[in-house]
Amino acid sequence: MKISYNWLKDYCKYDLSVEELAESLTNAGLVVDTVNPVEDDFCLEVEVTSNRPDCLGFIGVAREVAAIVRGKLDIPDVSYDDTNGGNINDITGVTIEDNELCQRYTARIIKDVKIGPSPEWLQRKISSVGLRPVNNIVDITNYVLMESGQPLHAFDSDKLSDGKIIVRRAKKGETMEAIDGSKCTLSDEMLVIADSQKPVAIAGIMGGKETEVSDATRNILLESAFFDPRSVRRTSRKLGLMSDSSYRFERRVDPECVDWASRRAAKMILEIAGGQAAEGVIDQNYLEDNKVSVTLKMSRLDGLLGLQVEKDTAKEILEHLQFRISAETKDGFSVDVPSFRGDVYREIDLIEEVARIHGYDKIPVKSSIGVKLTQDNQFDKITEKTKNVISGLGFNEVITDSIVGDSQNRHGTIWSETGSLKILNPIRQDEDLLRKALVHNLLRVKKHNQNYGVEKTDIYELSKVYLPKGDDQLPEEKECLCILGEEGYLALKGVIEAILCHLNIADSLESVHFDFGLFSSDKSAELRLGDSVLGFIGELSREVISDYDFRSKPCVAELDFDILIDKTNLESSYRKIPSFPVVTRDFAVVSDEAVTWADIKGCIESLKIDYVDDIEFFDVYRGKQIEKGRKSIAFRIIFRADDKTLKSEEVDILQEKILVNLNNSLGVNLRA
Amino acid sequence: MQERLNEIQNQAKGDLAKAESLEEVETIKTRYLGRKGGVITEIIKAIPGLSPEQRSSTGKSANILKNEIGKWIEEKKDGFDTSAKASLTLPSFDLSLPGEHKPYGRKHPLTQTIDEIKGIFKKLCFDIEYGPEVEHEYYNFDALNIPADHPSREDFDTFYLGNKRLLRSQTSTVQIRVMEKTKPPIRMIAPGKVFRPDTVDARHASMFHQIEGLMVDEGVSFSDLKYVLTLFAKSYFGQDIKMRFRPSFFPFTEPSAEIDISCSLCKGKGCSVCSQSGWVEVLGAGMVDPNVFDTVGYDSKKYTGFAFGMGVERLTMLKYGIDNIRLFFENDLRFLSQF
Repeated sequence: MKISYNWLKDYCKYDLSVEELAESLTNAGLVVDTVNPVEDDFCLEVEVTSNRPDCLGFIGVAREVAAIVRGKLDIPDVSYDDTNGGNINDITGVTIEDNELCQRYTARIIKDVKIGPSPEWLQRKISSVGLRPVNNIVDITNYVLMESGQPLHAFDSDKLSDGKIIVRRAKKGETMEAIDGSKCTLSDEMLVIADSQKPVAIAGIMGGKETEVSDATRNILLESAFFDPRSVRRTSRKLGLMSDSSYRFERRVDPECVDWASRRAAKMILEIAGGQAAEGVIDQNYLEDNKVSVTLKMSRLDGLLGLQVEKDTAKEILEHLQFRISAETKDGFSVDVPSFRGDVYREIDLIEEVARIHGYDKIPVKSSIGVKLTQDNQFDKITEKTKNVISGLGFNEVITDSIVGDSQNRHGTIWSETGSLKILNPIRQDEDLLRKALVHNLLRVKKHNQNYGVEKTDIYELSKVYLPKGDDQLPEEKECLCILGEEGYLALKGVIEAILCHLNIADSLESVHFDFGLFSSDKSAELRLGDSVLGFIGELSREVISDYDFRSKPCVAELDFDILIDKTNLESSYRKIPSFPVVTRDFAVVSDEAVTWADIKGCIESLKIDYVDDIEFFDVYRGKQIEKGRKSIAFRIIFRADDKTLKSEEVDILQEKILVNLNNSLGVNLRA
Repeated sequence: MQERLNEIQNQAKGDLAKAESLEEVETIKTRYLGRKGGVITEIIKAIPGLSPEQRSSTGKSANILKNEIGKWIEEKKDGFDTSAKASLTLPSFDLSLPGEHKPYGRKHPLTQTIDEIKGIFKKLCFDIEYGPEVEHEYYNFDALNIPADHPSREDFDTFYLGNKRLLRSQTSTVQIRVMEKTKPPIRMIAPGKVFRPDTVDARHASMFHQIEGLMVDEGVSFSDLKYVLTLFAKSYFGQDIKMRFRPSFFPFTEPSAEIDISCSLCKGKGCSVCSQSGWVEVLGAGMVDPNVFDTVGYDSKKYTGFAFGMGVERLTMLKYGIDNIRLFFENDLRFLSQF
């Protein structure tokens, strides 16, 4: 809200430079965002938090200043002469049909006013806070709004059919043209001010054009009310119509200020625009009168702040904020809370009042919190290890949006067939789903990079996917690891194997062919660890590549990270470095196409030869020297004994045993 | 004898001329001048056995020749030295060629920020906790003392999924989940994703990251809050920063505070990053509201605590001078590879 440096002095004669004022307000919780010079004045843009609607007027801000400088608050006199205008009940009437949405409505009548431009001082004041002068009546209602925070509206009472006010819900489809020219179509949850025929204002938001004060206006009906904050907010959002009034009603106005502001405006109208005020006021008040009283214990305050505050200081601060001390004990006192401080109803709230005016800067930066045993976080440890391995292998981590469009289902689903969780109020209608896999987002990242000329995109993401579990249940949030690599299928599989190795996972990785829409028919597998499905790996299919217009042939793996966590063994122990040398033997064998590497390796391992230390794959060869339908596989076996140097003859025997077994079980021969 | 000496002279000359390395020269030196079996040495050794007239002339000539050959050898050696030096300056290997690079991947800058902050709080004995991203309204609002008609509950501030489910709009949800399952004392931080239907621009994204913090025990005070957050801010932003704690409002803390640090870009003089104020807001904090303790079943007369929250994107942007939040989620490798 905008505050004028000079105008504010009407309510508290403070002796602060504009910089000092801005700093003091900020330190008390009213952040001054900007200070702009306006002629011989300054306009301060003050940020008022949602719990402090009382500061949406000059008097409220002045109250804060008075408490800060321990000065006096000057509240203008609002008495005026209402003896010459007849009795108000003879002139108009107010009916409230919905007293939940309108809890208080006051009307005053001022007759025979003279409409014209406001006096210069008034124009200058409202201009200093960014309002445009219109005419004396409108300017006065704006002035009082700024002064008190209570919105007012002046109707040309001669334009009200039957001259009476009805506060009711709008009828569905009813229309009204607002003062700013917008044509509003209303619905039945909106509250309107109406005459006997039609709506003349949208309650708390904006008046209607038809009944606005014009040069020809002579008689004024002055409205000051309390409208339900929630209702005003909803109507305002729904109509896309916001005003200084709606801003304040939404945040709740001071119930007791409703009448004060009306008097204040009536008095000013009489002084500036002349005329006679009708006697009295119509005041329909359904607000409950709940006086709040709170007790503060100084020991509690000191303990919570970690700072000793004198009781007199606390009292002084609260009294300046217009709390009334009602009782006092040795260690504390009780206060009555003023009506405009709906945010204060507990001891803790009083502690905050004292703390913020006393100054947070006075609270010492000190502590004796000491040390404490912390918990071991397995998830973090494993995550960090995994990311270190993948990053070390040259992959960059990406973070993509959890909210996705329907394209995530285009090439088949991974983790769940159930429809994705849907956001009811998305920002973009085409992005309203919670992702069920990461892979599609990584493809989009690849695409984005390719568009900007980055051809090689080795990337990964470790994040959640959301698998629905039922309409009223929270979804399963599965932690997934998705890796996109540009170096081919086996290179990507190597990355996964490296992770398994670093996480010390005992189960060996199994790849089982799996038809999957995203992947090419031959390079597409389900990965298993023991009995668990770890995830999927594959080379993108031709359709996907052309769909994304990729210039390379990326491979992707998506893994269930929870399985990795489950299988990880963080407790590893040292293994003795072998003392005796190894004997290596290289093999080139010829087999049918149907025989896999896993078959060959498994066959060798099945012999359970203690001296076989490792079996290393070299390559597969198909070509001229090999007959059709067969292939040559080259590998090395490393033999080693823990307790002696193996002799060549011993290894020869083992080698022979292996070859015989390969031949018998798989029809594999040594290549000629 | 003189003939013999002339012959030796010519031979030595020829040998030296053909020599191509220092080693060869050394061999030649040994051959002619070596103490044992050197050609000249042997002649000189044989002089006492000559006739007196031959003795004198041969001695003289042999010594001259010995010196001469010695001189030639030294000259030849010098020649090698200089030609060796000269060959060193010839460009046989271009040292300015760039080194060969193995690819090195990096963690996302937001992960790096979270890791750094986790590290700081771990030193202060805070645990790391996580909570679900899809939440019940209860954890995102009710339990956090946010009234049913609070604006933050409306459609334009929170993504809803139906049946009182939503995408959490703050990591404060984890406070409640941790207090529900743990008794005090508590010290924890909870990093994670949050979601808000903000219109996406340079400063707003519909998904971003927060880190929530909570400390609860008997006798925890506002000065403890200031202490912990001052330690944090100085560790993260540098020892020289100034800090400002000013009153603010959050439904789940009372008293509440926002914490500014002096703008690192302009050193507090005022610039576009700090909107000319010299201060940038980095943290929201406060003493846990007693209503929150009541909700989770803690005795609010016995226990006090403080909570705080910070935006990971914001801190990262401040630290590196990044001007657009969207860069974090576009994942352009030219951006990611800078961190």
